[in-house]
Amino acid sequence: METPFNGTGTEVEISRIDKELGLLWDASGDTKTRASLINLVIHSEDPASLPANTALIEEIAECHACRAILIQSNPHLPRSSARAWIGAHCRLVGKGERQVCSEQITFLLEGPCATSLPGIVFSHLDSDLPLCLWWQGKFQDPPDPKLWAWVDRLIFDSADWAHPLTQFSIVRQIASLAGGNRTVLCDLNWTRLHAWRTALASLFDHAAALPHLRGIRKLHIAAGSDAHTSAWLLVGWLADRLDWIRPHQTSSHVTEGTQRTTFIAPDGFPIACDLSPSDQPGLVGIALASANASFSLERSKPSAPFTATLHTPQIGETHLTLRSRCENLPETLATELGRAGRHPLYLRSLAHVS
Amino acid sequence: MPHTEANLQRNPLREGLEIRSMPTPCTLVIFGATGDLTRRKLVPALYNLSVDGVLPSAISVVGVARREMSDETFRSGLHESATKFSRQPVRDSEWADFSSAICYHRAAFDDAQAFHSLARKLAELDVTRGTRGNRLFYLAVAPDQFGIILDNLRASGLTSGVNGGWARVIVEKPFGSDLASARRLNTLVEEAFAEADTYRIDHYLGKETAQNIMVLRFANALFESMWNAQHIEHVQITASEPLGVEGRAGYYDKAGALRDMVQNHLLQLLCLTAMEPPVGLDADSIRDEKVKVLRSLRPIVGDDVFRHVVRAQYAAGSIDGRCVAAYRREDKIPPTSETETFVALEAHIDNWRWAGVPFFVRVGKRLPKAATEIAIHFKSVPHVLFKAAGETVDDNVLVIRIQPDEGISLRMSAKMPGTSLRIEPVKMDFRYGTSFGKATPEAYERLLIDAMSGDATLFARRDEVEEAWKFVDSIHAAWESRSDDLAFYPAGSWGPDAADELARRSDVTWRRL
Repeated sequence: METPFNGTGTEVEISRIDKELGLLWDASGDTKTRASLINLVIHSEDPASLPANTALIEEIAECHACRAILIQSNPHLPRSSARAWIGAHCRLVGKGERQVCSEQITFLLEGPCATSLPGIVFSHLDSDLPLCLWWQGKFQDPPDPKLWAWVDRLIFDSADWAHPLTQFSIVRQIASLAGGNRTVLCDLNWTRLHAWRTALASLFDHAAALPHLRGIRKLHIAAGSDAHTSAWLLVGWLADRLDWIRPHQTSSHVTEGTQRTTFIAPDGFPIACDLSPSDQPGLVGIALASANASFSLERSKPSAPFTATLHTPQIGETHLTLRSRCENLPETLATELGRAGRHPLYLRSLAHVS
Repeated sequence: MPHTEANLQRNPLREGLEIRSMPTPCTLVIFGATGDLTRRKLVPALYNLSVDGVLPSAISVVGVARREMSDETFRSGLHESATKFSRQPVRDSEWADFSSAICYHRAAFDDAQAFHSLARKLAELDVTRGTRGNRLFYLAVAPDQFGIILDNLRASGLTSGVNGGWARVIVEKPFGSDLASARRLNTLVEEAFAEADTYRIDHYLGKETAQNIMVLRFANALFESMWNAQHIEHVQITASEPLGVEGRAGYYDKAGALRDMVQNHLLQLLCLTAMEPPVGLDADSIRDEKVKVLRSLRPIVGDDVFRHVVRAQYAAGSIDGRCVAAYRREDKIPPTSETETFVALEAHIDNWRWAGVPFFVRVGKRLPKAATEIAIHFKSVPHVLFKAAGETVDDNVLVIRIQPDEGISLRMSAKMPGTSLRIEPVKMDFRYGTSFGKATPEAYERLLIDAMSGDATLFARRDEVEEAWKFVDSIHAAWESRSDDLAFYPAGSWGPDAADELARRSDVTWRRL
């Protein structure tokens, strides 16, 4: 049978996965150590996902030992078919005399059986280890409680969604299953915003800048078409941190491509939030202004350093260059997997804009 | 720019971004810039922090030493050292980026004028590199140089920050050679810097596993509920190394193993193992609890020293099949030296939690392998059900490996597969290296960044240092009264028989590492 991807792996019968994995480790003798701290499951319906996700796991396993389970499913085919491959990603440790390996189990599910993830796939989780599930693509409404009740950390990327409001509503339903205490929502789009949030926060670490933060009256964000959701998450974060309220009656309106939404500050003043499109990809710039001070951050491309400008009566105009982190996909996923705990700030930010 | 920690706390945008304090822009001034510590530890640590993007946005590093050399020559020497000692490969572009922050300042430590010109240089760097008047002075020099450096720093106005900035000092061990000298040194430092701005480094505290002791204890109900005299039989803390005195003969022969290792590193590990839960994670709450442990240590005085402490010196022997000379034949060691290269002692902590639990501490040079660990030996089960079958059951042992191969293992008993009842000890093993893929940062990386952030949790406080000296001084006082107790052990062995006898008296055997 043809292998549907170029990654390493041996095709095995699904019923023999555990035995075959055992044989794989037995054959490696003492030179290889299996390591695992999490079950990392990646689900996609994209027919080209397996090679890309295998390459991603290769990188991620360097810093997050895991049992990786990759699933490519196509539930729309009429005939059920389920195939599986096993393999390992190894790296040398110490002086190179030993290798530490993360296992990868790959599933290709077609037809009606593709909807039976708990039965087919989740029986192969490493017991007692947390389940991090990255759901690539959109969620189905209503969510299947049997599927989602297993998940400790649900990873997704809201930047990929064509209809973010609908999808956000579904993920919130998922998070509320099991009493809302189990599944942590991990939006890679939010993780990517960390650099922007850190840079923006650092502008107000300055003693002369901080007093102006609560007096912000205007907010302007320029973003490429791929970063519309990112921009709104950033607005939601500011609204949460600065106690802005979005009146129920207010709706956004668009003027010459710029979408304006109005929030109300705790002192009752309105805050105009403008989101304007940019030809460049990603978030391009953010500007905040109070009555007598202004603050802006710009970035020419993702991962480039930020150019910051502060203008206050006390310090006049100051320009800074602020370092930024690499924001490629493996780095972003590795950062997210490296974070522990829940993300209450994300949920609160989301509540302000969805 | 005033960029204070208070601002960071009040800035509402900071919530959830970082769980640790942020290092603020500063100039790091290293005294002893051409020394071993700078080359082997400090510069590689700074380079790694730079590569990891952890250093503050604006930083400069000024090396101060007596030799005449240009910035370029200084950087080039550091490049060589970083290439050799950095845990991450040194790449040209990253080195270029990092090294642009480094410069050299020639100064004899007793030259007041040179300190005034240093002050001018730092003021210039504040302008050109945006270091905001914040200064971190690192005394990577012998303690006899501390006084003159501190005096000159004070005389040139460098002991306080400029324009609202801060000034801190990092002091390397040995912090004194006994209680009296430590007090003198503390007073000297105190005249120049406030206690809150004084960072006494003990690099063991920067090690990931040492930091993990508190997490292991206070985040896992399983262990903490058993962490007391009711369940623990005894504790063994070991630091062994195959190395001899190497290039430290002059210092080591004066200090010996007790002052070099027990007074600081091993007592710190003992404190982390034995302390009560702190009320918070701030520096003083943790240090308060450690001081309580030191104060509860039963003093070993007079004749008790010869019952509860063993000192020894290595004789000729072999390590890894290589013949090595006796300590007294080492270069620059007097042939009649009575300095101990090995210490084993039995300590007791007189408090509610640890009453009756001996803490066995052993440290030595020219031992068979390098290993630092804490082993918690739990009490036996009250009734061994399997005795009738002729089986013995080993006690549970929890081992915290500080270095190398950092991790934690738990020994327990398991039935061997088969039709007969045979019980064997098995090990559950957690290794940092395999569980967490990323390399563990070097202790100095963590400590430097903490000092830049104003977080003193992993540094020793004045009273900690002085309490530790009190404990050690009484042992030394007894040793000075006689010398016939000095034992000898062949290099490459696990120490003298007297150390085994010390443990045996409490029905304990030292762990085979």
